Amino acid sequence: MQLLNLSIDRIIIHQIYRLDEDGNKVLPTRSTEYINFDTDALSNFKTRITEALGSGSKAVQMEIIEQDTNDTSTLVNKIIDQDDESFAISSYDLAKKLADAQTTRSIPGGIVVIFSGKQGHPQKKFLGLIKAEVHSAYEKKTDEKTKEISLEFIEEVLLTPASKLYKTAGFFEKAIPSASSENLNDKWTVMVSDNQISQSEGKAASHYFYSSFLGFGYPETSARTTKQFYEATSSFIGTLPIAEEKKSDLYNALSTYLKVSASPIISSSGFAELYFNDIDTSDAFNSFMEEQGIPDTAFTKDIEHIKSKLKHRKVNFGTNIKITAPSEIFQKLISIETIDGEPDESGNMEKWTKIIVKHGITQQE
Amino acid sequence: MNESQFNQQWDDDKPSYKAWGNYIVDSITTKIKEKGIDLDSFLKIPAKCRLKNDDKLIDKAFYRAGKNYSDPYTDIEDKVGARFVVLLISDIQLICDIIQENDAWIYDPCKHFEEDKDKDPLLFTYQSVHYILRPKTEINVGGVIIPQSTPCEIQIRTLLQHAHAELTHDAIYKSKTTVKPNVHRTVAKSMALIETTDGFFTDVTRLLNYGPLEEYGVQQQLDALYLTFTGLQSCKQKSSIIIWDEFEKFIDEKLYEQIQTLVLDPEYGYLADKIKEQYSSNVLYRQSIVLFIYWLLKHKRRRLISDWPLDIGILELLANDVGVSTTI
Repeated sequence: MQLLNLSIDRIIIHQIYRLDEDGNKVLPTRSTEYINFDTDALSNFKTRITEALGSGSKAVQMEIIEQDTNDTSTLVNKIIDQDDESFAISSYDLAKKLADAQTTRSIPGGIVVIFSGKQGHPQKKFLGLIKAEVHSAYEKKTDEKTKEISLEFIEEVLLTPASKLYKTAGFFEKAIPSASSENLNDKWTVMVSDNQISQSEGKAASHYFYSSFLGFGYPETSARTTKQFYEATSSFIGTLPIAEEKKSDLYNALSTYLKVSASPIISSSGFAELYFNDIDTSDAFNSFMEEQGIPDTAFTKDIEHIKSKLKHRKVNFGTNIKITAPSEIFQKLISIETIDGEPDESGNMEKWTKIIVKHGITQQE
Repeated sequence: MNESQFNQQWDDDKPSYKAWGNYIVDSITTKIKEKGIDLDSFLKIPAKCRLKNDDKLIDKAFYRAGKNYSDPYTDIEDKVGARFVVLLISDIQLICDIIQENDAWIYDPCKHFEEDKDKDPLLFTYQSVHYILRPKTEINVGGVIIPQSTPCEIQIRTLLQHAHAELTHDAIYKSKTTVKPNVHRTVAKSMALIETTDGFFTDVTRLLNYGPLEEYGVQQQLDALYLTFTGLQSCKQKSSIIIWDEFEKFIDEKLYEQIQTLVLDPEYGYLADKIKEQYSSNVLYRQSIVLFIYWLLKHKRRRLISDWPLDIGILELLANDVGVSTTI
């Protein structure tokens, strides 16, 4: 999601708690005053939001599933237009909804930050929610007289750059909302950023946030997007000015990324980070993928449409020569390398390929 | 004209010669400043006009070996003169252009080392550019009448040429005794060395000031784009040089077009307001390079963040404008 021209009008926080020792819910603490950040703090807050939900982030676009009267999305749809006084009160209902969703003691308490503002050009409304876990840190202190520096322990800090300590959701009003539709998905684009989602077992750990609390589900378009991602990445690798053996490695990597990697979500920036060790290639890749219409955030992986392609790696040569092997086998047992051949009739050096198959021949026809 | 008549005439004319010299120096220095050049650093020695010393003048008119003037008063054209000493050969050209473009006088280019080189390619000797300037019509400067016939000699040279002249001019070219051949030879050798060094200075300056930024004229194009986009004038500061330097490899013939495409995309139209908001408080926003940084943020984000030469906090503000994160 491109967060252009981002402005934030109101920020309010409430505190929620872990279930008590007997497993009973503890009522969230309500605050009634808005947070008043100075310019620097506000700018930093915007940076955090951009990092969580903006271009290049690991946020995933989702779909609103639960949209009955008391569901979170319906609530958001209602309170976003409220005046400041009502908004402050209603925002507490969102904190209560989150507290309700936290049904096991393993889920920590923290602060719920609810903020609203505008983004885009022309500007459209949005509402954001952050659940920030409170953790401890140190603050640097300098003694005024001696200039001696020391550290002071701070028990409760939140919203540090370490994004794994908070979960963020955003409701972004669509550029052309459908006036007649009752379906909130026609009015809002919803994004969730949660470090736990991208971990292999993360879906369960983050379920309470995106599903129980927000009432979101994964969109059904993932298979198509995954296929587009595969095709665009393949064609990008094809254009790279690198040796064929390096390209072969990258095709192998693409196959691994989509097929083997345990993470349920994928992203252009994620692939670039893992497999392009050169920063400039990685920038070029991100730009290229954006041009190709691949989401600039993360999305759920669904290899349904490319299963057969991922099964085999194929390399074609001129004059109808091909090698094919199951992807995993190809990666392990075949290495290819471009070598200088002999000059052709006009004296140009031909490029040949040296193939090593780490296996004996079992059959010939 | 005998010696006493000469003296008399010179005494009478001194004020107008002095006024003419001052007028020329003022005109030239004003023009240099108008080109946005800092005069104090451009001229290595402050320019001022000087009347020829009485005794030296008489000496030159009547007693110098090899000078047989038929009309010494008119023939001696350097009764008043001024000297412009600059660092580079190219700086000399700048002053020559100023002199030749001025309508207040008639100029006589009486000596130019480039022409001397063509004439005597094997000779390494005193190098300078000399002009004799006379008013086009009689003029009145601060109440002093300057007749059309009043000459003033302007010398223009590099610092190294000047050093050579200082050492040798009186000692060698005006010497009354015969100078030994090995002294001539040594002086010629030093002139050859000076000419070589002046050439190197020119090369170095060109290499320092000429890169892709100049080749593709990106700076001027961006300044113009900045002006149409925001309605504000772009300033050039040190900070922009550091940034251009760091990301020079992205400067090519397509860069300007790509930046223009981004800036003129209606979706990014609000950036004009962002720039205006920050114009007075943040120096980066006052420079057209801000548009290049926006482009880098959108297309070369990781490279930009990894090589950003200034405080990262400055970049965060710009990154927020285009909704890009500054953590890799």
